Amino acid sequence: MPAIEARRLRKTYKTTRGVFRREKVERVALRGVDLAIEPGELFGVLGPNGAGKTTMTKIFTTLLLPTSGAATVLGLDAVHDQWALRRRIGFVFGGDRGLYWRLSGLDNLRYFADLYRIPPEVTRKRIPALLERLGLAGRERDRVELYSRGMKQRLHLARGLLNDPEVLFLDEPTIGLDPVGARELRVIVRELADAGKTVFLTTHYMFEADAICDRIAVIKGGEIVAEGTPSSIKKVVQDQGVVEFEVVGMPAERVAGLRGLQGVKSVAVVDHELAQVVTIHCSSPADVMTQLGLVLDGMSLEKVSSREPTLEDAYVQLIGESS
Amino acid sequence: MSLIRAGWRAFVITIRMRVISTWSYLSWLVFPMLFTIVGLYVLSSGGASSSRLVYGVLGGGLIGYWSVAYLDAGNSIQDERWSGTLEQIFATPTPIWVILFGKVCAGLVFGLVSFLPNAALAYFGFHAVLPALDPWKFVISLGVLTLSFFCIALTLAPLFALWRWAFSMLNGFELGVYILCGFMFPIAALASWAQGVAGVLAPTWAVRALYASTVMQGPHDFTLWWLAAIGLSVVYLAGAYFLYGLVEREARVSGELALA
Repeated sequence: MPAIEARRLRKTYKTTRGVFRREKVERVALRGVDLAIEPGELFGVLGPNGAGKTTMTKIFTTLLLPTSGAATVLGLDAVHDQWALRRRIGFVFGGDRGLYWRLSGLDNLRYFADLYRIPPEVTRKRIPALLERLGLAGRERDRVELYSRGMKQRLHLARGLLNDPEVLFLDEPTIGLDPVGARELRVIVRELADAGKTVFLTTHYMFEADAICDRIAVIKGGEIVAEGTPSSIKKVVQDQGVVEFEVVGMPAERVAGLRGLQGVKSVAVVDHELAQVVTIHCSSPADVMTQLGLVLDGMSLEKVSSREPTLEDAYVQLIGESS
Repeated sequence: MSLIRAGWRAFVITIRMRVISTWSYLSWLVFPMLFTIVGLYVLSSGGASSSRLVYGVLGGGLIGYWSVAYLDAGNSIQDERWSGTLEQIFATPTPIWVILFGKVCAGLVFGLVSFLPNAALAYFGFHAVLPALDPWKFVISLGVLTLSFFCIALTLAPLFALWRWAFSMLNGFELGVYILCGFMFPIAALASWAQGVAGVLAPTWAVRALYASTVMQGPHDFTLWWLAAIGLSVVYLAGAYFLYGLVEREARVSGELALA
């Protein structure tokens, strides 16, 4: 039995817009997602902002009801079995919100321990153990507002582990952390998976998923567009190369021109300070480089280079990012 | 047992958050004292009768009690939404009504405490006293009033969780109650239709009994007033039973527990 399973999972948000003429608006966040995650797996869900990652996490953690389809965790229905399920799962949302800043870290943990209905004799042992493991021992009586971003995130994780969950949901847990803090957190998450916990991790950092996940799903516009191990995802671009350059002022028609070049799979344009970084995925970088002048005639190109594709390139191609 | 512990912890945490919040002192200490000062000044300057003066002695405290008891739980829900903890507490195995039970009780404690400085201010600042206080009837009436505040607060607080915009609407209800229920003046001064509305509000009957317990002239029908307040409170609680079921479901449909 999968630890986490989604079958044709769909979620539509209904809202209104306008002040005097109220207009009903529907926004589809998930469009029939199918997913099966085995016990003990560290499963990553990758996707850009608004792709549906958080919505999916909230459905599994019983915070949201799907519009249709089924979501089960540990064999329990996330819609109807919420009380039994909440005792057996933990979740951590990224960012430094979600804590009582004016209380100490210890008070935060004690409060949630009682809300998770953990017996006091268990809480007395578990909280010091978690504080020790997550490097917060000695600072537990300080107010959370005095914690660094990394400490707050580790406190989040401690809170998520209070009930010793069998499945842990992590929604962009390293967002906003400095590189050292993010790496420390990734090590802890990997250790949790190695200890047998099923971990569901959403992120938009490809290297993070590549570094620690057993399997990955790439989600775009509420649909899963690819699923597999990091190495199998990389195969999407194994026969390709990448051409990159910087340019100042990239008109849309020139981007369209690049897309029309022979052998070009995708073109991504990302603003970088005053310039734009253009990344072209193609079957033959040498051929594309010789054709650049045809489309970008009169423009000054900087830092033109070609390289082997990475996992991030596979992700970019799957997402079809072009801004 | 674990639910009682969860409710108790919610109570303790709410008390601690309010003690360390400078702003909360405005609602349970400063504003009620301002009402008391104004009320006593107005009511004592014109040679008002002692039956009117008691509105000055108790009115500020009542307003403070109501404001804190009613709005504290709802406000803290709004605070939780802003700080991102509302989803965290909602997704625990403790039903939201247990958490709100603790929060509402904490509000009641602060509200009762706010009576003390107001009574002291009335006594020492204006030499105002309750002329014919019947302590037992006063205490029972205060208990019934507390029950009515508790039931209204517990019933309406989940609406703050359900809708982000509930705060502004329910804020208006706070003002309406202390006018309609006769906190600062007898409701006989209101239009007849307003008295009809006041009749379905449990605090109206409890406040009437409370003031009656401090003055001699009658007629007083304490039993009827207490039963009316208790009966209406029970009706509110019955409504709350359905409302909490609705909130548990609708909050999961709309996703409004989060800020965005």
